[in-house]
Amino acid sequence: MQLVELSRSEHAGLRIREDLVEASAANQHLIPIVVSEFRKAATQYPIVFAKNPDTGRFGSYVLNGLNIAENLFWSGTQMDVAYVPLNVRRQPFYVGTANELCVDLDSPCLDGTGGKGIVNPDGSDSLYLTEILSVLNQLVAGQKTTERFIATALSLDLLAPLMLDIVLEDKTPLKVQGIYGVDEEKLRQLDGEEISRLWKSGWLDLIYSVLISMGQIYNLIRLKNQRISLSRAWHDNES
Amino acid sequence: MARAVRSICIVGGGTAGWLTAGIMAARHCSKSGGGLQITLVESETIGIVGVGEGTWPTMRSTLKKIGISETDFFRECNASFKHGAKFAKWATGEASDFYYHPLMLPEGFPSLDLAPFWTDYSQAHSDAPSFSDAVCFQEAVCELGLAPKLITSPEYAGIANYAYHLDAGRFASFIRDHCVKNLGVRHVVDDVTEVVRNDTGDIDYVGTRKSGRLGGDLFIDCSGFRSLLLGETMCVPFVDCSDVLFIDRALAMQVPYDHEQSNVIPHTVSTAQKHGWIWDIGLQSRRGVGYVFSSQHTTTDAALEELRTYVGDKHRGLQPREIKIVSGHRQTFWVGNCVAVGLAGGFLEPLEASALVLIELSADLISNMMPLTRETMDIVAKRFNAATQYRWDRIIDFLKLHYLLSKRTDSKFWIDNRDPNSVPESLKEQMELWRYRAPGDQDFTSSQEMFPAASYQYVLFGMGFRMETRHQPLARDSDVARRAFAQNAALKVKWTKILPKNRDLLNKIREHGLQKI
Repeated sequence: MQLVELSRSEHAGLRIREDLVEASAANQHLIPIVVSEFRKAATQYPIVFAKNPDTGRFGSYVLNGLNIAENLFWSGTQMDVAYVPLNVRRQPFYVGTANELCVDLDSPCLDGTGGKGIVNPDGSDSLYLTEILSVLNQLVAGQKTTERFIATALSLDLLAPLMLDIVLEDKTPLKVQGIYGVDEEKLRQLDGEEISRLWKSGWLDLIYSVLISMGQIYNLIRLKNQRISLSRAWHDNES
Repeated sequence: MARAVRSICIVGGGTAGWLTAGIMAARHCSKSGGGLQITLVESETIGIVGVGEGTWPTMRSTLKKIGISETDFFRECNASFKHGAKFAKWATGEASDFYYHPLMLPEGFPSLDLAPFWTDYSQAHSDAPSFSDAVCFQEAVCELGLAPKLITSPEYAGIANYAYHLDAGRFASFIRDHCVKNLGVRHVVDDVTEVVRNDTGDIDYVGTRKSGRLGGDLFIDCSGFRSLLLGETMCVPFVDCSDVLFIDRALAMQVPYDHEQSNVIPHTVSTAQKHGWIWDIGLQSRRGVGYVFSSQHTTTDAALEELRTYVGDKHRGLQPREIKIVSGHRQTFWVGNCVAVGLAGGFLEPLEASALVLIELSADLISNMMPLTRETMDIVAKRFNAATQYRWDRIIDFLKLHYLLSKRTDSKFWIDNRDPNSVPESLKEQMELWRYRAPGDQDFTSSQEMFPAASYQYVLFGMGFRMETRHQPLARDSDVARRAFAQNAALKVKWTKILPKNRDLLNKIREHGLQKI
């Protein structure tokens, strides 16, 4: 990754291949999301919490796979889902530490043949860049809210490690570690006052999005089993 | 009619007083009206001794149990991680002489005992690794100055087993604030002017300068070396152990780091000297260094010179604090309605950090066995005394073991320490057994055991002791042993690669905190 501040003049000629944007997620089993994405994400992925390896702090993520670096939604050319997280769609743009707009010059989606540019012929921001800026704004704004949501959930002891003990169709045992979910038992034990506070702040909705999203684990297992039988069929053909 | 035990009065507010208050209050719901009422009276004028800076891993469960966040503990108590202890120059005194007593059990222990396999191997190979290095990955981690966990590890959970180094002064006030704010302990700051007994011999109340009389159904003496309640009031005599353990003086100093970000050594370093040994304990902002020696064998001035040589010319200006140690303990620990915890019960020497752990264990035991009536208190007292006496005896044995095995001849201190007259019979018996087989759990069968058999193995083999293995049964499954040695080697490679520098993790805990889960 090579982040540089985006200059409308210096980088006026940048072309972006939108079809390569999602490739950045090809090997990501966790993609960070902000709370404003929870409802949409819950229709496609399990929403989980995981610790940043550098700080130990919790973040919220969609879970794409059952192994490190596995994305079961990656079809080979795109994310085969109805909702792609903002953190994928923002590629190859980032917000720097001083809130400046940055671009990753190493990103494979920067390509002379790309269909999108950042500025119009008159020098104004292209519609594409405006959309990107809106995505980045949602991410920056969502960051703080997400942190507050997680802090609240932690203070109420609502998060707990998810113990996923899965046996795949070919009998392979699978243990997924290092991810956390909402502890339903603890949620049930909250008193009415606390529930009311969570409801008023809108966080109860988020908690339920996370709980409901857990069902998507079965979708991941289904996709994983499909991959296994596909690869078995492939090897059977070979032999 | 049976007299219920409802209130406890703790006299003394050092680490012993506050830890005891915390352990009892957390267990006996002092916060809610229905629990035990706990009052702690501490003097404004008497300071705390406060050099106990090394703990055992038990402190993790103690802190957790009383509801303290490990993150807060690290931030408030200048605390650091401790993997165990490194003993330098204890065996021969040569520059290359060192061994580790790590806090993790040997690989496979106790279902597998690697000691005979290591003994045979090390006798056949001059380049054999040390015992602790062969059976435990912590020595390698310590030599690289690495922490026992990651920033993603939850509070109180470790990858390697660990204890702490802490600032005893800050620790006492940290636990105090928690006890007062969160656990419902009543705090009285006042000088105790008298301790008054009733006609049954029990303590009736302690009189204070400003706060009147403080009563209680049980009094816990945490008054330090003075032993105001148990010693002075209940007249329980002191049992001197200086015929076994010769250390009777400490020179303690606080040594600054060369740089603010110098690594913090993740283990206690104990370096043998001519007439004792020097402790070196890394905290976040400074080191605690001290020389404990025998005044029967050297003078304070000569000891100070040795200490100054150890800390180096750069720190010549540092003035040490001298502390007198009377090695021993009270004859009993619980008499009538008075029980002593901490220095008031006794003290040996700081080797193997037995002071704080004994406070935790004693407070736990009192808390677990808490008599519900005065009538049943004497039964509990009898059991507490037996358990505590047993613990002191085991600590004495284990500390003496360190001296007994030394081959140093550079002073009478070391030679006298090997005089059979100074060795307890119980230790002599164990040594007889261990000539032919390694210490095992069968040698330590009490439920009040202090040091696990593995600790004896680490010290014995680390000090150069070698068993005769020829009488051991031949049917040994060496494949299992080989696999265990290989497993340890693999863990060494793995964790030395993954674990962070101790200082780096401590910085991260300051900045981000550890998660509870």
